[in-house]
Amino acid sequence: MKLDDMYEPNRRGEAAREGGKQPGEGSAPLADREVPLPPVATLDHIHRWLDGETPEPTGLRGDQARSLEFWRRMDEETERRRRVVTPPYVAARIMASLPETSFMTAIAPWWKKDVHLSPATIVALAIGAFSLGLLAMRLVTG
Amino acid sequence: MKSTVPADQVDQVDADQEIIARVLTGDRDAFSLLIHRYADPLFRHALGMTGSPDVAEDILQMSFIKAYSHLAEVRGRFDAWVFRIVANGCKDWLKNIRRTHLSYDEDDQPTGYANPEEELDLTELRSDLDSALLTLPVSLREAFIMKHVEGRSYEEMADLLSTTVGALKMRVHRAREALQALLEEKYA
Repeated sequence: MKLDDMYEPNRRGEAAREGGKQPGEGSAPLADREVPLPPVATLDHIHRWLDGETPEPTGLRGDQARSLEFWRRMDEETERRRRVVTPPYVAARIMASLPETSFMTAIAPWWKKDVHLSPATIVALAIGAFSLGLLAMRLVTG
Repeated sequence: MKSTVPADQVDQVDADQEIIARVLTGDRDAFSLLIHRYADPLFRHALGMTGSPDVAEDILQMSFIKAYSHLAEVRGRFDAWVFRIVANGCKDWLKNIRRTHLSYDEDDQPTGYANPEEELDLTELRSDLDSALLTLPVSLREAFIMKHVEGRSYEEMADLLSTTVGALKMRVHRAREALQALLEEKYA
């Protein structure tokens, strides 16, 4: 770097703050000036198109165009799958295999439900009741 | 957070509750209305997740039987409840079964292609997509199937899977990138 150019960036900054023209601006050929590029579709645009948020991107080239073409083909296939329906016999098969459930029992409050006790439970309850009876008698008789 | 439920969805929920009440009071045949209403999207989900029509039918059947047996326990939306039963059925099946290659049984799928070459191309694409889907982690496959095959919105998916829209977008994007990496060379 030449010594003369050392403070060039600062000078540019000062010129900009003062509202002056950047060195070289206006004098450079038009083709060399930076111009904003038109929006280029990225993979993110393709995702947003696939998500239904934006229209299909246009004017793609290279890898982006290949990606778009790929997803068009995949979309055709997923669209076909979206039309698949349950085979007609399945509903009848399900209905035929439903268990015999009495929902009236299932939705009844607990105190209205039938009580099923095993013999062991009955014996245990009887012993418990007998013991409680004995205890009560002892307390009463002192 | 304010919840906005579309009016038609409210109607649907009410209609489902009415059918459930009928079944619970002994009208067993009314259950077929629920089957007809929800079987197709659930079948597509099971088919997408397992890749096998036979397995998808079995999962659907078991799920509806389970739903029927526990119908008195339904609180809220029946469709979301039965979806979770099917989704769990698929995940259980995937956990238990290891399969090396799965594809649609061609006899089960209707064909209407213009010529045999086109049919062959599409059959190959179908099979390749199935194989590629089966290499994805279950959560990515599930998100991709729900978005692209079932055509659900991210909001609906978030509701059904009890997660956020952002997390689901991430899963779908990752699934797409993985599928593209696997299939692009052949199909782009």
